[in-house]
Amino acid sequence: MKESKKKNLLIKSGSIIDPWHNREFVSDILIKDGIISEIKEEIKVKDNNIYEINAEGCKVSPGFLDMHVHLREPGFEDEETIETGALAAVKGGFTTVVCMANTRPVVDTQSLVKYILKKGNSSACRVLSVAAMTKGLEGKSITEMGLLADAGAVGFSDDGMCVSDSRLMYEIMRYSTQFDLPLILHEEDDYISGGGLVHEGDYSNILGLKGISRLSDDLMIERDISLAKRSGARIHITHLSTRGGVEMIKKAKEEGVKVTCDVTPHHLFFNDSCLTSFNTNFKVKPPIRSEEDRQALVAGIKSGVIDAIVSDHAPHLDTEKNTTFKLASFGTIGLETLFSAAFTSLCVEEKMELGKLINLISAAPSKIIGVDEGKIEAGRLANLTVIDTEAEEEIKKGNIVSKSKNSAFLGQKLKGRIICTISRGSLAYTINNKKEKG
Amino acid sequence: MLSKKSIIGIESLEKEDIGLVLANADSFLEISGRDVKKVPVLRGKTIANLFFEPSTRTKTSFEIAAKRLSADIINFSSSTSSVVKGESIVDTLKTILSMNVDMVIMRHSDSGAVKIADSFVEVPVINAGDGKNQHPTQALLDLYTINKVFGKFKGLKVAIVGDFINSRVAGSNINLFKKMGMDITIVSPTILLPEDFSKMDVRHCIDDVIEESDIIYILRMQFERQDRKFYPSIMEYNRFLSLNMERLGRMKPGSIVMHPGPVNRGIEITDEVMETRGKLREKIVIERQVTYGVAIRMALIYLILGQ
Amino acid sequence: MEEKAHILGKNDIERIVSRISHEILEKNRGPENLIFIGLQKRGVPLSGRIAGNIEKFEGIKIKTGKLDITFYRDDIGHNIKPVSQITDISFDIEGKNIILVDDVLYTGRTIRAAMDALIDFGRPKSIQLIVLIDRGHRELPIRADYVGKNLPTSRSESVEVKLRETDGVEDSVTVVKKEE
Repeated sequence: MKESKKKNLLIKSGSIIDPWHNREFVSDILIKDGIISEIKEEIKVKDNNIYEINAEGCKVSPGFLDMHVHLREPGFEDEETIETGALAAVKGGFTTVVCMANTRPVVDTQSLVKYILKKGNSSACRVLSVAAMTKGLEGKSITEMGLLADAGAVGFSDDGMCVSDSRLMYEIMRYSTQFDLPLILHEEDDYISGGGLVHEGDYSNILGLKGISRLSDDLMIERDISLAKRSGARIHITHLSTRGGVEMIKKAKEEGVKVTCDVTPHHLFFNDSCLTSFNTNFKVKPPIRSEEDRQALVAGIKSGVIDAIVSDHAPHLDTEKNTTFKLASFGTIGLETLFSAAFTSLCVEEKMELGKLINLISAAPSKIIGVDEGKIEAGRLANLTVIDTEAEEEIKKGNIVSKSKNSAFLGQKLKGRIICTISRGSLAYTINNKKEKG
Repeated sequence: MLSKKSIIGIESLEKEDIGLVLANADSFLEISGRDVKKVPVLRGKTIANLFFEPSTRTKTSFEIAAKRLSADIINFSSSTSSVVKGESIVDTLKTILSMNVDMVIMRHSDSGAVKIADSFVEVPVINAGDGKNQHPTQALLDLYTINKVFGKFKGLKVAIVGDFINSRVAGSNINLFKKMGMDITIVSPTILLPEDFSKMDVRHCIDDVIEESDIIYILRMQFERQDRKFYPSIMEYNRFLSLNMERLGRMKPGSIVMHPGPVNRGIEITDEVMETRGKLREKIVIERQVTYGVAIRMALIYLILGQ
Repeated sequence: MEEKAHILGKNDIERIVSRISHEILEKNRGPENLIFIGLQKRGVPLSGRIAGNIEKFEGIKIKTGKLDITFYRDDIGHNIKPVSQITDISFDIEGKNIILVDDVLYTGRTIRAAMDALIDFGRPKSIQLIVLIDRGHRELPIRADYVGKNLPTSRSESVEVKLRETDGVEDSVTVVKKEE
């Protein structure tokens, strides 16, 4: 799919969605040498070296941005690499992803941040990275946040772990105010969640699986909002799962606390009744919670309390998932299904505007991590995604690009498909169908 | 004469007191430059140098000061831990004062210890540093150094750089420098700064002040001294706060670098800066501070005991 | 009320300084090996004037120093002067003939302190003393080698010397008698 010399591209008759200005209009887009050169109703070009994409009836969106993925490199390259993860990303319509720091070794030094960014340069999409907040994610001492920011980290996160030492968390917050980068927080009280596998509720009782109480998330969210209020730090609470969390963040925002948050499609799509299948791909952290929580998350999206949708793409080998619930690893992949799952649960079932969803996966997260993405404008490097909102597809293991196949959405019929993705000016992904003509 | 019998903190010193101490210090500086570095002015006076916390420099400075004034000085050194539990500092003081001591110089690892001691004894007490509270003679010698270099205080731009949470020097110096009309900028990472400092002019990187400051005052950065080691690493410190050759070279003409000593080479100041020769060398007045420290302590002891 | 008696004026003092300058040269057979040390504070300008005269007469440079004796006083703790004047003897006095200069010689205690202080700087060959006024009442066995004017006084009187360099007014010597 990658070409050494960038071919010029013409996207015909797509309905352009511009989340920065909250508008939609039908137009052609001409891309020359990777740069969007023209956005006009009718562009005619005489050029043999042009690749035309017929987007009639389709939506053209800024390339998506996923601010929470685990590409497993370095250390777990058997599960995913930056290269394979980026291929999965562009298949899902993403042109920018942000890696979490829980690799092996942990991304807690300048050289590791630079390594990931460098690897990303030669992959299918833009790959950014956060850096760890605590050395080795041990929750004991603060990383060289200043040096890590210099190296290009777009935020700090111990994702996968939660800093249980409140004093340390407070000092991390105070220190972070120097660098104007967000702290991306995985909220989990280890003492409460310890040993838990699934949401603590009716289903955990029926199925005999050890539960993880909502308190695990809520206590830490409450603590961190208090700490952020006092320190002035900018925090971003990731993979929100509880109703209480939505309510606390709503209130904190009203009080002026610098807090944002995101949610994953699997928390929007499923409730804990899915557990009856004992499908270990539903073993995720935080756990898929009750219908009441799911509805609160959907409502949080609609009301604007929730700022972004992320995949929390967490690849695992079959051997880690083809086992009992107790022994299986936490996590589901999600890059390839994020759009269609979110589109199905929000735009199809809840009749939410598509523009709003696009904003949640492009412009809004760009603002949070402080990068200039999520825009469609002449003169910019082309990062674009073409979507067919009418198409429906059943998710099958055989179609998954990601190196690991542990998707919670296997077997689900989802609406909305990515037709093609233009990443950094090149056609990085295209569905093999008749809409193309060369 | 001084308005107080004891020197416990900077806040209790009147501007006139400070003026008097500085004016007298020149004479003592001259004495320290003689072949016979001794005047008989305090013959027959006995001073107790009580160090409840190890300190070589300050203790020696006071000892030399007292000896150059012909006073007898007795050293009592003890780390707090080795003072048998149950024997309070008050009892230790009373024992020593029973031997007819005329003045007490005291250093203690606990904030407020010197003030408590002062309230129990009749003789004058000089605070040689108490916990993270105050170190008034350091502040005065720093002020004297500034006076010798610039001949004025008002409007001088001072940047104090480093660890404010664990420093006993910072508090006294800020207080005194402000009193004398200097413009103070704090340069410190948020996590080495008490929260109430946010009201002051705070920067986080030495680069923000290096070019416009008349005085770069560098505090000690003792990684092992932090209550809890929140600051990430020496490398991070070097990036934002250390004085290196490049930064030294950007300082404006006539500006100086001060440090209360001892310098942690490679942490707050690089080895190259400490070893530099030639024109830039003149900017580093750390050794002059030590020399002036003796003169200031002589002046204080003289002004208190000479009455 | 105070009663003041004018003793010497500007011209008188100038003549005295000139006379003493000659006496010194005569007694020491020339200016070689002489060093002048003025006592703070009015001895300092007096020693400067005398040294200046000798430089003029002999055409050579004369070394002068300043000495503050505060730290050598024997009345410390009784009558302390807080702001001491600077001592400035920036040369070797070993083997030199030192000429100490002060304005008024009274009990002799100041000169005793000055000699102690000087000896801390080295071992001079000799120490001679110039005073502008000798008012008597010695408490120590000290006498001046050169005296501007002997002035018998009572202890209740005080002698006020004013010099243009230190007081900013015309040179004068006055005796002030304090009414009981």
